[in-house]
Amino acid sequence: MLLEKCIYKIYMIIISPYSKALRNGKINPKNYPYWKELIALIKEPIIQIGIEGEEQLVPDFRKNLSLTELEMLVDECRTWISCDSFLQHFGWDRKKYGIVLWSVSDPLIFGHPENINLLKDRSNLVQNQFLWWEFTDHDPNKFFNPSLVLECLNANFP
Amino acid sequence: MSNILCSISTRGRYDTTLPLALQAILNQTKLPNKLIIFDDNDEPRDVRGELFYDYFFKICDIKGVKWEWVYAEKKGQHHNHEKANMAGFEWVWRIDDDCIPEPNVLENLYLYTNVNVGAVGGAILTPPINPDTSKCTGKIENIDSEPNIQWSEIKKAKEVEHLHCSFLYRAGVHDYNLGLSRVAHREETLFTYGLYLKGYKSLVVPHATSWHLKNPQGGIRAETNKDMYHRDELIFRNILAYKNKKIVVLNCGMGDHIVFSHVLPEIKNAEVFTCFPEIVAGRSISEAISLFGGIDEWSIYKKMAQWKWTDSLENAFRKMYI
Repeated sequence: MLLEKCIYKIYMIIISPYSKALRNGKINPKNYPYWKELIALIKEPIIQIGIEGEEQLVPDFRKNLSLTELEMLVDECRTWISCDSFLQHFGWDRKKYGIVLWSVSDPLIFGHPENINLLKDRSNLVQNQFLWWEFTDHDPNKFFNPSLVLECLNANFP
Repeated sequence: MSNILCSISTRGRYDTTLPLALQAILNQTKLPNKLIIFDDNDEPRDVRGELFYDYFFKICDIKGVKWEWVYAEKKGQHHNHEKANMAGFEWVWRIDDDCIPEPNVLENLYLYTNVNVGAVGGAILTPPINPDTSKCTGKIENIDSEPNIQWSEIKKAKEVEHLHCSFLYRAGVHDYNLGLSRVAHREETLFTYGLYLKGYKSLVVPHATSWHLKNPQGGIRAETNKDMYHRDELIFRNILAYKNKKIVVLNCGMGDHIVFSHVLPEIKNAEVFTCFPEIVAGRSISEAISLFGGIDEWSIYKKMAQWKWTDSLENAFRKMYI
């Protein structure tokens, strides 16, 4: 039992797949489009965190966690993978660093250098970083390929 | 080289004091680069094609003063002033539509500008009123006990904490309080006091007299709803009550609150209003709105857009609060 706990503790990854829902119902341009492919490549337990109404991608989906619950979970994981959302700040604050999948928002402004910030190309960044995301279309071509994310995961968080 | 916008907000004075004010602007020994007129009339008229206004704008063209007539939103002059404030000029000279500057005003106000100065005002005289202002301090704490220092002739330059009516100010560093009502009672006092709180000097200077022909028709005096004055006065008093505190308003996301929490220890005497008290402790945002009227001036996203920010969010919070 103890051994199982230890193994679980070492091999668990948190994912936070979605940025805040947009008021116009469009897909948030910061949402990573290849979660299903990425999840298929990761051979260890994954816990998804988020809120009610978001699509469930793995069997263990924990919704609406309190900050205390989230603290415990983040402290237990090997690392986490997130789009540009709350978790990248939360993990950084707890000094538990992870991978952030960027597209149109600027990691130099909204990110933290201690995390692994995967931005495909700075030319994809929207010109005005401070407007509502409702004005920006979602474009899957602006994100890192899942196999590259996996490589990065294994290289940086062995 | 100077980069000055002259801004005038008008209501109910097409055929009385507005043409006098416009003529006085064009007769300045130093001309602004651009003149913008915000038309706040309840029933606006297109005066651009009327004979004497048409002459006036032709003279602007000849003198090289760009001009723009804006049909404003009728939310009050503070909304118009804020648009001028954010129009991309280094300095804004604001004039009331019943205020007639003598020809040397802009030149002499501009003489006193430097990197430490936020605003410069001259005498604003309404004959026959001529109070003794020789002992006036210009400090905000004395606003109820002394006449405004600009209400009489100014004999020598003096640092003050607030200005009145018409003045030249550094643009884009402090916001007008857009939470005030349409009458915008105390708007210029709050604005110039805000510049002072940001560390800029406000000056009253000699040889820069404007004649304030207080017109009982038009302008804010067109509003008779006393509740508006009362509410604006309350906002003004609340802001004064917090003058020794650093007001922090976090009307932003959870992640932004986490980032801000790393800056908070560096802020002295902070009074925090927050959306997520479980992350950054403080009072509610609705309380901030109730106390201070508008809270846009604390919008970190608006500020970053305005600053064309490229550094980190954490450092943006530092720029705003430290």
